[in-house]
Amino acid sequence: MKNKYFILFLTLMFTFSIQKANAQEVQSTDEIQKLKQEIEQLKNESDTYKPGKSKFLLRGYAHSGLQITDEEFSFVGGSFNPLFIYKQSDRLLFESEWELELAGGEVKLAVEYANMSYLLSKNLTFRAGKILVPFGIYVPNLHPAWINKFPTGPLGAGHDGIIPSNDIGLELRGGSYLGNLKINYSIYAVNGSQLNDGEEEAEEAGILHHAIFPDNNKGKTIGGRLGFFPFSDSSLEFGISGMYGKVGAKETDMKDVAALHYALDISYVKTLSSMSSVLDMKGQYSGVNVDDANYPFHENPDDLITFDNNSSTWFAQISLRPALVENNFVRRLEFAGRYSTLKTPEGSEWETDQTQVDLGINYWIDWRTLFKVSYRISNSKEDGTTEEPDGHGGAPGNAFFVHWAIGF
Amino acid sequence: MKKIPIIIFLFTLLATIAIISSCQSTSPLAEAKSGAQLWGENCLRCHNAPSPESFSDAEWDVAVMHMRVRANLTEPEAVKIADFLKTAN
Repeated sequence: MKNKYFILFLTLMFTFSIQKANAQEVQSTDEIQKLKQEIEQLKNESDTYKPGKSKFLLRGYAHSGLQITDEEFSFVGGSFNPLFIYKQSDRLLFESEWELELAGGEVKLAVEYANMSYLLSKNLTFRAGKILVPFGIYVPNLHPAWINKFPTGPLGAGHDGIIPSNDIGLELRGGSYLGNLKINYSIYAVNGSQLNDGEEEAEEAGILHHAIFPDNNKGKTIGGRLGFFPFSDSSLEFGISGMYGKVGAKETDMKDVAALHYALDISYVKTLSSMSSVLDMKGQYSGVNVDDANYPFHENPDDLITFDNNSSTWFAQISLRPALVENNFVRRLEFAGRYSTLKTPEGSEWETDQTQVDLGINYWIDWRTLFKVSYRISNSKEDGTTEEPDGHGGAPGNAFFVHWAIGF
Repeated sequence: MKKIPIIIFLFTLLATIAIISSCQSTSPLAEAKSGAQLWGENCLRCHNAPSPESFSDAEWDVAVMHMRVRANLTEPEAVKIADFLKTAN
């Protein structure tokens, strides 16, 4: 009897085990099914956010700060520069930088550039639209507030400087190798600068104005830049730039007046292990020669004056950032110095001969955000004052700046 | 101003040579460089090298194309830099 009860017990246990196993199997199948549904749902959701070939990116920069001069102690608005970048395909790109600047209690809006780029080959790109003129290195590469080591630009640069900044036209650009020598190049045709004939503003007679539309004549300004990298690590770059075109207005006495802009630039950036620092040196010499012309004399517009309409400007800057030291505070510091000059034509109403020294210490919060503290010493040779006429990229007087800038 | 035609001619000639030579988009030395090396060398020429974590893969696609045009990078250089940034972010 005992055996019968034992066999019955085993049979019941076996049956119970099979039922439980079946139930678990059903449960597992349900769970697998549920997981499959969840995976499918997640896949559908991820497909919703899967980027297509067309992609849009909003970047840009902003800056403002404190400016102290003999006459002024003021927080200044600086500017906000959104940069819209739209990648239409692997070959087609549109980009535009706007500048919203707080000045004189108003907001000034300007389109710095807006152009379409088409990648023709592995090393040649065609651009059309409003471009940053590839003239030297300051305007095309260094002007954004989070890249510029100083709160202001060097003498002669900027919207009112003698260095052309932006213009409308066509451009071919790219980079390539001649053996192991890396080069980059750009050739372009743009509307070009416009000569102020002094008819309306005699005190500005002979000045070249940049980025004014439409063109004042039918001639186009042709220009280009060539850059060479003699070292294999691309630490050193030499550049030569030039642009030539008519600047006089059509159907006037100055219709044949032309201008030649030229520039030489150099850049050296090297990580110095021995100093645990990054050394950055940049320089640019720029000049402009305008054909001779007769301009109205500002005190009596019936009288005509003429002068050698040649201007030049140059800057050299150096900065050292101990980015490789262990101390977290010290490695965020950067020490910078810049010397710049501006010389405009003798005999003109806007004659000036200025020099400017900027000394600064920057503190980097991250790779694109910094505080700048700098002191500027200005000098004007011709009359011993530090004042400078508006309109030539100069800035008046000695000044102390505390600025912040962010790139995003 | 008489020197202008000579300067323009020389410049145009140099530019033409450069464009004709543009069929060579890399060199043995450049080919040996990694994406990280190219990222460091080319970005530092103008600004601090960006952290790869700053952008997503899709955003790097656009940013690198923007910089390819802006900094005159060749296609092989841009591809290597983009691959590095996407791998490291």
